[in-house]
Amino acid sequence: MERSIESIWKEGFLKSDALVAPKINNLYNQKSIHIIDKFKRMFKINLIAIIAFSCIFLIVSFFVGIPITGIMFFVSLSVLVFINKQLLNGLDKIDKGASSYQYLKSFNEWIKKQIAINIKISRFLYPIIFISMVFGFWFKDAEGMPLGERLVGEILVGFPDIYLVFGIPLIGIVIALFILVLLAYFGGRIYKWDLNLVYGRVFKKLEEMMTDIESLRN
Amino acid sequence: MSSDFYKASILPFSGIIIKLCRAYTNSQQDFEDYYQEVCLQIWRSKDNFREELQWSTWVYRISLNVCLTLLKKKKNNVQYFVSDSITVEETEDNYAFSDESLNLLYDAIRKLSEIDRAIIMLYLEEKSQKEIAEIIGTNPNNIGVRVKRIKNRLKKILDGKIN
Repeated sequence: MERSIESIWKEGFLKSDALVAPKINNLYNQKSIHIIDKFKRMFKINLIAIIAFSCIFLIVSFFVGIPITGIMFFVSLSVLVFINKQLLNGLDKIDKGASSYQYLKSFNEWIKKQIAINIKISRFLYPIIFISMVFGFWFKDAEGMPLGERLVGEILVGFPDIYLVFGIPLIGIVIALFILVLLAYFGGRIYKWDLNLVYGRVFKKLEEMMTDIESLRN
Repeated sequence: MSSDFYKASILPFSGIIIKLCRAYTNSQQDFEDYYQEVCLQIWRSKDNFREELQWSTWVYRISLNVCLTLLKKKKNNVQYFVSDSITVEETEDNYAFSDESLNLLYDAIRKLSEIDRAIIMLYLEEKSQKEIAEIIGTNPNNIGVRVKRIKNRLKKILDGKIN
């Protein structure tokens, strides 16, 4: 090698016109598509996991003797998955050919709609899950009679003057109603907490990108 | 990013950014992605610029860090990708320079380790040992010896290929 590395470097760049900077455009295109694809993948996995869980729980519930819980779980989670699958189909309609900003904005709107619908569903879902647990255990077979009736019988031995409504202690009904009201009231918040646990990082990234693009546009 | 910021704070250093990005990529597409990402990161981190540094040092440092990060990400994504196996044939035609010797030198540089690539690029850009050390974050005393070793390695790779 006769020429020095330094001279090859210097002369090479003098001869070539390679130092023209590439145009800065579509900076966020790949990133925004990537982040939304990641969300879609996570969302699909989540739905599949819910289906798998509800099926397994349905089978287990028959073996454990609480089929009412299993069936109610299965039905309510199936409705949840069905609604969310419909929402996911709406996500596919977002135009990938749009600018990154438009694409992210559409996605953001979709997310807001999805969260709003799921918050409403959660206000019913958590109480239904609680009721299904109560019913399941109430009607669980306990040596020839429902567990609930058996429990009431035992309570009556200790507290014979307890007030009953349709054969159920009033205090029990009040406690159950109180829990139902709490679950209905906090259902939306529980859902949001759950949502942040699973998708928090994706949402944070999305928010950062939106802020960045907005300042880039200014 | 305003075009004023780009024109005033990035464009004057685009030469070294381009050269660095080329040293860490092996296709035009990757090169453009790296360049855009570097520019974006410079813009994003402009508020963190510390007055005790020179703006150019800051720019070089960010460029280098972005290139290394992207390279690591790529390696993690494609486990079977081995940078040492890059050959001249694998380089896309439109990515090559008009000067054949420069192409060979770039290919040789791409065979070096990530940090050696950075050191030789900055050396070839006539940065002082102190500045190179400042950008990379090492001791300036070691830079001279390291440059010598890298140059010897490059000469070995290029031996017989360039007249």
